[in-house]
Amino acid sequence: MNGRIGAAVMVLGLVLGGVTTVSPLGAAPGETISFAMLAGYKEDVLRANIGSFEQQTGIKVAIDASPYNDLYQKTLLSLSTSARRYDVMFMDEPWVPGLSSFLLPLGDVIKGIDLADFVPTTLASGRYKGKQYAMPVDPNVQVFIYRKDLFQQHNLGVPDTWDDVLRDAQTLNDPAKEMAGVVTTAGSDQQTGLYMLLLIWSYGGDVLGPDGRSVADSPAARKGASVYVQLLKYAPLGVQSYSFADVNKAVQLGKAAMAIQWASGARPMEDKAHSLVAGKLGYAVMPRGDQRTPMRGVWTIGIAQTTQHQEAAAKFVQWITGREFGRAAALYPATSSAIHSPRFSVLRDPKIAEALPYAPALLDNLKIARERARVPQWPDIQEQLRLYGAKVSTGAPLGETLAQLKASINDVMNK
Amino acid sequence: MRGLARGGLPWLAPGIAFLALIDLFPLGYALAISLYSWWLVRPSEIRLVGLANYASLLRDAVLRHDTMVSAAFMIGAVSIELVAGMALAVFFAQRTRVFAAVRPVILLPLFITPVVSATMWRLMFHPDLGIVNYYLRRIGIGGPAWLSDPTLAMTAVILLDTWRAIPFMFLVLHAGIVSLPHELFEAAMVDGATKWHSFRHVTLPLLRYIIVVAVLIRAMDAFREFDIFYIVTSGGPGNATETIQMLNYRIFGYGRVGLASSLSTLTLVLVAIISLALLRSMGREGAA
Repeated sequence: MNGRIGAAVMVLGLVLGGVTTVSPLGAAPGETISFAMLAGYKEDVLRANIGSFEQQTGIKVAIDASPYNDLYQKTLLSLSTSARRYDVMFMDEPWVPGLSSFLLPLGDVIKGIDLADFVPTTLASGRYKGKQYAMPVDPNVQVFIYRKDLFQQHNLGVPDTWDDVLRDAQTLNDPAKEMAGVVTTAGSDQQTGLYMLLLIWSYGGDVLGPDGRSVADSPAARKGASVYVQLLKYAPLGVQSYSFADVNKAVQLGKAAMAIQWASGARPMEDKAHSLVAGKLGYAVMPRGDQRTPMRGVWTIGIAQTTQHQEAAAKFVQWITGREFGRAAALYPATSSAIHSPRFSVLRDPKIAEALPYAPALLDNLKIARERARVPQWPDIQEQLRLYGAKVSTGAPLGETLAQLKASINDVMNK
Repeated sequence: MRGLARGGLPWLAPGIAFLALIDLFPLGYALAISLYSWWLVRPSEIRLVGLANYASLLRDAVLRHDTMVSAAFMIGAVSIELVAGMALAVFFAQRTRVFAAVRPVILLPLFITPVVSATMWRLMFHPDLGIVNYYLRRIGIGGPAWLSDPTLAMTAVILLDTWRAIPFMFLVLHAGIVSLPHELFEAAMVDGATKWHSFRHVTLPLLRYIIVVAVLIRAMDAFREFDIFYIVTSGGPGNATETIQMLNYRIFGYGRVGLASSLSTLTLVLVAIISLALLRSMGREGAA
């Protein structure tokens, strides 16, 4: 009896082995990897293209998409507990230092990848303490957006400094015609703190010093934050409740002459079906105070140390950071956001440049982009920035609020 | 009692064990975790810190602010819901045919998912695109930036919550009113009582315990409200509408498990204090 069962198993094994195809990417077909992904537009782009990867490799990708905050929570819980739910994770770059102790160093995975094709600052987004823990998938950076038609009408040049922006915003601001001089995020939203930080950096300040103590109330930080508050004087009514999507709405409805926004927001602005100002926008490198400091915000991909599907996960990382996905993602119809490629060859492709009129500005800003402090506590610090940035935007006393921000960041760093 | 121990206890034991499992075990576990410094990013550095998490929270000005916001919301929302729910209940108690006709409309908000209704209201309050300001402008009133002003933002959230919870209050109070004995109202009428006198001296005293239960349920819910604040205001403008639950979500969200458990325990204690205070005050009124 046992002999018969053994023979049957052998035959079955031979049959299955015979029909199994070897995938072009050399991975083990039939495997399924679980992928923690950001919900929304970026998820849509991935789902629209994932078939190509699954066909090439025979590897199935189970996508679990969550909104921004939940994605971090779920990823952290999965990695730090015995849940081990995910093999591969889509991570915002500030998460990488904190999660690095749970991530697989990608030394072997990236050996075959042409790293020279990547914008160097994007590769740095996945690096921590000299090791590459994540690879860039979707580079984002803050860009300066302005209405070319309005600037021509008023004989204005592209603003070079924040003083220029303030002056032009005053000129173009016309509440009676529902035209705001400038729009940016100022609600109780993470972006609010990040835009205030952009201004603080621009005037030579920071929120975290090299010794790990906060310097959020330095004169330079105060100067930058005060310029942020001045910009809001020329923003639309209700800007204190604005998030990323509201900034886009204001621009797309033609209600703002200038905007400070992430590059991913620019793509829908150029969608003729949903934007009244498509083709009328100019994109520039971020204006300067003492220096130009556009903030880098790269979405990266990393592999869990505990994965049982290391080879399949590596193939997925190679595919999603590759030219094929980069091109397909960049050309995917825009609705509310965009995915760009971190590769020079994709960003400089004429077809891509045609689809993304802001690609040169994206690249220029990306080349000089500044990164947020690479400390595991950064997500906590960013939350404090959100809280106190939103208070600043509502007119809370600047000196007192920045002192509170400093105290809360020091508290986070000492925990 | 002895009879229960001999005959009833074995029958009750599975139920008690089940309750202990789903109620007491998670509670005990959360209490235990609250005594630890546990940051998920550094699982190897978990250490017992005793009451340090509680001490840190009690010193925290943000927690004090957020507790006040939760309390203000609870008092504002539940007061309106009680008055409006009672008015509707009294009105429809005497008009059963009208009630039957409009019942689906009145109860509709109860059936809409909070996330959906909150998103809908957020859009309604949008300064440029919202329907509220659109109609205000049509009648010549410049629509305010609802969610950018601290007072208006809280007003908007209270309006949303009352829209959602008045049907609940109405249902409970209506059921109570229609079950009251008619004889008492007839006797009051014979004694020359007006409608107001009947309501004040017959309906309200008889409904007291139903009112206590309805207010208690709504007050506990309102104090722990999270979803509508998260969606409509995200705690803004600034931190004007940040509640104790949003603070807990933030702390847990960044992996501070011990601290978040301490805050959950503090919230539980606060809700228990509020409930006891409410029960005692209603009890005193009853005794008077």
